[in-house]
Amino acid sequence: MDEPSVFSDYSHEQLVILVARNKDRNAFHQLFDYFAPRIKSYLLNFNISDQGAEDLTQDVMITLWQKADKFDPEKAKISTWLFRVARNKYIDKVRQQKYPEVNADDHIASMIAPEKTDQTIKEQQDRGRIEMAMAVLNDEQRKVIELSFFKELSHSQIAEATNLPLGTVKSRIRMAFQALREELGDYR
Amino acid sequence: MKTHGIIPDEWIVSYASGALSEAHALVVATHCHFHPDLQQKLIDAENIGAMLMESRPLAKVSSHMFDDIISKIDDLPNKAMQPSNDNGLPFPLADYLNHKSLDQLNWRMMGPGLSQVRLWTGPNDERLWLLKAKGGAKIPPHDHRGIELTLVLQGSYHVGNDQYGPGLLEIADDETKNHTPLIDPGEDCICLVVTEAPIKIHSFLGRLAQPFIGL
Repeated sequence: MDEPSVFSDYSHEQLVILVARNKDRNAFHQLFDYFAPRIKSYLLNFNISDQGAEDLTQDVMITLWQKADKFDPEKAKISTWLFRVARNKYIDKVRQQKYPEVNADDHIASMIAPEKTDQTIKEQQDRGRIEMAMAVLNDEQRKVIELSFFKELSHSQIAEATNLPLGTVKSRIRMAFQALREELGDYR
Repeated sequence: MKTHGIIPDEWIVSYASGALSEAHALVVATHCHFHPDLQQKLIDAENIGAMLMESRPLAKVSSHMFDDIISKIDDLPNKAMQPSNDNGLPFPLADYLNHKSLDQLNWRMMGPGLSQVRLWTGPNDERLWLLKAKGGAKIPPHDHRGIELTLVLQGSYHVGNDQYGPGLLEIADDETKNHTPLIDPGEDCICLVVTEAPIKIHSFLGRLAQPFIGL
């Protein structure tokens, strides 16, 4: 599986469409090369073994292969779709709970369609934007966002971990979210 | 800022990050189904999660993982048809109930004009259930241990001057004393409820009945 990449100027969303329509394995390989190390890295934040993270990453990529035709690039980014699948698989397999979803098909239709040109350049810019947006937060706000997303801690668990009153934790998450939404306003 | 009947943003962040329990996640997802602006916030929060995932240092994946995946996808059976959502309930709840209608559930009487279906019991006695109350019914005055989320699916009720109708959510906690919801006259009020611990009913008779009605 060492073919040179034939789709280097394709966006991730365009690659998913090739997987959905043609079951294109080269396009799938390219998505794998980009996302598998990132999904595994995200999963390793939680208390699971390297093998556990490896198995879940495999499951996520197989789900992408199976459900690529359900993905609508006008409604979501593929990274967000994969994040959701990875989060839910971890909760299902490790915490053994379901994580009910707002049906992706019901997500509002007015989502902005991805731009058709300069897609890969835009993706590279997007990836740098979260660091810039996180840099706007103060240390306390950054901490509660990281404990939420990287440790899946609830408000009361964050309060316990940081020795802060519950109300303070909630207001910090609210403020941080508001600041991030403002910073990333046109990222949709 | 608190908006009446709408879940605060910190819950949206917790939902997106995967920090909620099964019961809380179901209530939040079903609540969002009613409100396009909450769905947009949820997408924003999940976009943030995805960008944080993308910005992590890369993990080393085993050299054979891609080939393992290819051999697995070659063996995959054809996909089963997704059941359609034809029971009129918001998608997250319909899916959770395996697309059964509310009438097909096993409702248990709790008292005059009140019945419930227990859907899930989690760690630390967290409980998820559906509550159906006849129009005009009064829920016995009670206090809370932990958080109670109540999402109205049909009908409406009042607590003091606040009215809760379809799609609106009430959050009650330890500080909510003497909580006495009054069901509005008319159609049955059906709610999706999560309690973190049994509520504390004030009346002697209510407390006597509590073990049997499972509140």
